[in-house]
Amino acid sequence: MKYMKLLLPIGLVLLAQPKDERKPDRTVSILAERFTFNPSRINVKPGQLVEFVLESDDTDHGFKIPSAGIDVAIPPAGKGEVRVRFLARAKGTFEFECSRACGAGHHLMRGAIVVK
Amino acid sequence: MTRLIAKFVIVAALNLSALAQSTSELERRVIELEEKMRLIDPAFGKNASAQDLLKRLDQLEQKMTAVLAKTEPSPTTVAASPAPAPSGPPQTQGLVPVSVSGDYQGAPDGETRLPVAGYMDFHVNKDSGDPFRPDFHRFVLLFGHSFSDRIKFWSELELEHSLLEPSEGAGGEVALEQAYLDFLIKPYFNLRAGMVLSPVGIVNERHEPPSFNGVERPFVETTIIPTTWRELGVGVTGDLGRGFRYRGYLTSSLDASRFNAEGGISEGRSRGFEASMRNPAKVIRLEYAGVRRLTLGASMYTGHSGFNVPGVNPRVDLLEFDGRYSYRRVDFRGLFANTWVSRAGELNRRLQLETGVNPNVASQMRGYYFEPAYHLLPRRARNDVILFARYEKYDTQRQMPIGYRPLTQFNRSSWVTGVTFKPTADVAIKFDYNFNRNQSAIVRAVNSVNLGIGWWF
Repeated sequence: MKYMKLLLPIGLVLLAQPKDERKPDRTVSILAERFTFNPSRINVKPGQLVEFVLESDDTDHGFKIPSAGIDVAIPPAGKGEVRVRFLARAKGTFEFECSRACGAGHHLMRGAIVVK
Repeated sequence: MTRLIAKFVIVAALNLSALAQSTSELERRVIELEEKMRLIDPAFGKNASAQDLLKRLDQLEQKMTAVLAKTEPSPTTVAASPAPAPSGPPQTQGLVPVSVSGDYQGAPDGETRLPVAGYMDFHVNKDSGDPFRPDFHRFVLLFGHSFSDRIKFWSELELEHSLLEPSEGAGGEVALEQAYLDFLIKPYFNLRAGMVLSPVGIVNERHEPPSFNGVERPFVETTIIPTTWRELGVGVTGDLGRGFRYRGYLTSSLDASRFNAEGGISEGRSRGFEASMRNPAKVIRLEYAGVRRLTLGASMYTGHSGFNVPGVNPRVDLLEFDGRYSYRRVDFRGLFANTWVSRAGELNRRLQLETGVNPNVASQMRGYYFEPAYHLLPRRARNDVILFARYEKYDTQRQMPIGYRPLTQFNRSSWVTGVTFKPTADVAIKFDYNFNRNQSAIVRAVNSVNLGIGWWF
C-alpha cells in the first residue's frame, strides 16, 4: 500500500504529460524547387493522418494550404526540412501553393491534395 | 464513470503540478483554455472568473465533451499538438492541421510578410586583350499581391547596368519584365493576363542568378531564344497531374524590323510597347516533372512578325526541347532550339530598302547546349561548390534565303567552364572562362573571363 501511495502520484504525473503523437498513416516526401513541388498532386484517403516532409532544393519556399489554414516556411537547401501533419477528414481537392516569393515563376508553384 | 475518472485524473494532475506551479499560474492557463473555447462558442464561460478553478474545469470538460460529440463521432487518439500557423479554419474543414515540426522558421501570429523579393547581379567581364569591365548588370525587384486566394498579381521590374541615361546613348534600361494577373480556377485550368514571360527554354522563366551556372546566361538562350523574352499576352496555365503541366498564351508579335544577322530574332521582342496584337502569336509549353529532380520541357512558338514592315509579314516558328536532371552530386542540363523565319529574303530586301543596310536575316537559326556539373560537397551541406562545363553551339545564319550568303562569324561555339560557390542557397559567387570559336576565317572570336556575384532575397 505504501508503494501504491508512492506510485500513484508518479503515474498520474506521467498521465498528465503530452502523449506521443500517433504514427502517421501516410508519409509523403515533397521536394520544392523553383518552380515546382514534386510531387505536385498527392492522393490520400479520408480519415488518414498524413505527414508531409518538405525540403527545398534551392531557396526558401512556403507551403500553404489556404483551406486548412496551414502556412509554413520550407528552409532553403542545406538547412533542414519541415514536417506538416494533418488529418484528411472529408473528400475533396485541396490546393496548396508556395507562399514565399521565390522567383520569376513563383505563381507556377502550386499543387493539390486529393482526398478520395 | 469515464467522466469521473477523467475528472479525477485532471484534478490529481493539477494538484501534482501545483507542487511546481503556483495557483495563479494554473488560473492563467485555465483562462487561456476558456479563451480558446470562446473561439468556438463566444458565449462560453462569460461569468467564469467569479467561480473556483474546479468548477471552471468542470465546465471546460463538459463543453469539450459536447464539442467532440458534435464534430468527431469516432474520436481519434491523435495527440493534436497545436499547429503553429493555423489561421483559424473551423474544424469542419476537409483538412485539419495537426502539427508542424522541423527546421521551419515559424512566423509569429499576425506578422505580414510583404511579397517583395528581388535579385541582383554584379559582373566583371574581360575579353581577351581588353581591360576588365565591372558592371552592376541587374537590379531586379519582384512585387506581388493577392487580391484573394483566387486572384493574384505578380511583377518583375528590372534596372540593367545600374544607370539609365538615354542622352548618353549608352547605359542601361528600366524594363518591366512581367506584370500579370492570375485567375486561379482549378489546378488544371487557370487564366493569366498581362505582361508575361514567354514559356520557352530553361532560363527565360528561371533566371535568378543562383539557379544557373556561369556568370552570364547561356548564349543559346540569349540569341536563339531571346531571353528575357516577355510579351503582352493572355493565356492558360495548369497542372495536369502525374507531373505534367502546361502554359499556353496568345501574345503580342515579334517585330521583324529589328531582326538581324548576329542576334537573330532576339532584338525583335516587343517589350510591352509598340506591340501588335493584330495577329497574336501562339506559344505553348508542356513540362514533365514527375520524377524527383528531373524536368523535361518542350516549347513551341509561332507568330507573324511583320506589323512594322510594310508589305512583308514573315512568320516565325520556334521549336525547343530542354531537360534538367540531378543525381546525387551530378547535375545535367541540356537544350536544343531551332527557329524558322519565313520570307526572310523579302524581309532583307525590304529592310535594306528602308535603312540602306542588309540585315542578312537567316531563314533558319539553331542552337543547343549541354552542361554537366558536379557538386564538391554533399547535397545537404550548408555550402555548395559546383564545377561545371558547358558546351554551346549557336548559329544565327544556319540557313539563308536564296540570294544571301551566311556570315560565318555568327556560326559560333563556346566552352564555358567554371565554378559556382554558394555560401548559402541564395548567394552565388561565380567564375568562368569562355573559349569562344566561330567559323569565320577573317573575324576571330576572342576568349573571355568573367567574375560575378549574384543573390536572391
